[in-house]
Amino acid sequence: MKAHPARGRAAVAAAFAAALPLLFFVACASGADAEAGRKKAELCAACHGPGGNSVNPLVPSLAGQPAQFISIQLYQFREGNRKDPQMTPLTANMSNADMNDLAAYFTTQKAAPPSHKTDPASAAAAPALAQQNNCVQCHGPKLLGQQHIPRIAGQQYDYVKTQLRGFKASTRSDLDGNMTSAAQALSDKDIEVLADYVAGLTP
Amino acid sequence: MSPVSIRRLASALACAGLILPAAALAQTPAAPAAAPAAPPPWKQGMTPEQGTSALHPFAPQMTGRPASELPLDKLKVPAGFKVEVWADGIPEARSLALGDKGTVFVSNRLAKNVYAVVEKNGKREVKVVLKGLNAPNGIAFSKGTLYVAERGRISSYAGIEDSLDNPPEGKVIIDGLDPTNQPGHFWKFLAMGPDGKLYFNIGSPQNITMPTYMQAAIMRVDPKTGTLENYAQGVRNTVGFDWNPKTHQLWFTEHGRDWLGDDMPSDELNVATKQGQNFGFPYCHQGDTLDPEYGKFRSCKEFTPPVLKLGAHIAPLGMRFYTGKMFPAEYRNNIFLARHGSWNRNTKQGYDIYRVAFDDKGKVTKAEPFLSGFLIDEKADPPMWGRPVDVLVMKDGSMLFSDDYNGIVYRISYKK
Repeated sequence: MKAHPARGRAAVAAAFAAALPLLFFVACASGADAEAGRKKAELCAACHGPGGNSVNPLVPSLAGQPAQFISIQLYQFREGNRKDPQMTPLTANMSNADMNDLAAYFTTQKAAPPSHKTDPASAAAAPALAQQNNCVQCHGPKLLGQQHIPRIAGQQYDYVKTQLRGFKASTRSDLDGNMTSAAQALSDKDIEVLADYVAGLTP
Repeated sequence: MSPVSIRRLASALACAGLILPAAALAQTPAAPAAAPAAPPPWKQGMTPEQGTSALHPFAPQMTGRPASELPLDKLKVPAGFKVEVWADGIPEARSLALGDKGTVFVSNRLAKNVYAVVEKNGKREVKVVLKGLNAPNGIAFSKGTLYVAERGRISSYAGIEDSLDNPPEGKVIIDGLDPTNQPGHFWKFLAMGPDGKLYFNIGSPQNITMPTYMQAAIMRVDPKTGTLENYAQGVRNTVGFDWNPKTHQLWFTEHGRDWLGDDMPSDELNVATKQGQNFGFPYCHQGDTLDPEYGKFRSCKEFTPPVLKLGAHIAPLGMRFYTGKMFPAEYRNNIFLARHGSWNRNTKQGYDIYRVAFDDKGKVTKAEPFLSGFLIDEKADPPMWGRPVDVLVMKDGSMLFSDDYNGIVYRISYKK
């Protein structure tokens, strides 16, 4: 493949895409592999915590998240759709098979009980807010997520706030536009109440 | 059963059975001041009783799955036909277009690339040719030029097959097609008509709503002048069409509305015999059933009915007339269409390639699944392991089809 200076990134990506079938064959002949994912996830624990249970308020928990949600987010980071100073460089050289293995690993990890304590006022107001703003419609009645939709029950408080603010500002990547659309109706106060509520739910 | 699937099951059961106690809602202090948020477009139009339904659309595996991981032996085709993986590693493979020199272009809907699959020294190679586009679902190739429909604009890439590693900059033909930038039905299908104009859909922005003059329509634009016309109205969303090789009339698939129950309304196969016809949305569904809200004071006789009902919520996408010579004579000029598969139905159906044969007058003589096996458990969530999106007749008469769930293109061939 011919590299062109002005299209360096495209060329790299093209080379990467061309190499994909080969990578699949080498790394993934037996399918997405949680055990292979465990080894690949060693680096992840530094921020996401042991087994993907984060103790850092700014970093999301990955334990027990739906596999499809994890692989899609890794893909979004690598493709530059979702940006983060840590995750963008970490995913740059990941293959699709790596992402599938990591997803297979984290989805089998048990989510730890939350350390966050929800303010009683938030606990009272949030269920109606979650219903009104369609949170439960996709994330499920217990906010445990499904397929490409994340578990938000027991997720880190600051992280959830940051994501909701990002969706509202249309700066957070969004596969199908549903979250950007849903967040438009939220006030800053709503975001705080919802984050305070979901962070204290037992996953 | 793994802990994960137990929790999924628990979640699904809770979802089906749990209703928030009204008393708990009533006692809630500090009711939020803002008006309730609009539901996601796919939730819009539900009845209050459907409010706790666990039905939901399925998202593709953006990281794809390699051929080695898929139960390919489950795929069934008629005797003499063979199906095989033709290319994998194409995230969310959607529309297919064939270049004059044999390049197969593959689009996606939720990502930003257009891929090219080329054969070089007997080896097939997948490469990214266009990057950074906005939902480039629609692709069409004509006379050396690739046309790409993003959510808001259509551009041309002349001579692209000669410079796949260094593609030309796109030349915008028309822009501003998506002024609202909302999540519903923003992706476009694109095809070059026999009149040299580019045809594309603008879907209904929501499940069921009153469209504007530039929504729920098939539009066409002259690539030379940029002149835009409305070609057909009352089309909720079509993501697949082709012209009958004999009559040159436009045949198109159409998705019906959701939340009217498992069996209503049927999705449609339609024919536009001339410009300006109205196919019924949002007033009349499947040619014979008035909408409970918008159908009041209207009659289905006002609208052009479908040629064929394809099944409720079955989601027909890409379709092509089979003009090749490899398949037996009875398949000549048949329609092959991809049924992406239902989500808005408790018992799932579709997830196949469907065959429609008809006589010289356009009367349907046969309609049956041609390739099946993606649907494994009609009650499971998800019920399938793959989802067909578009079909493409190759020069040798074989047929390709794309699967966005796994990022794969398959090939169907025939040998006596």
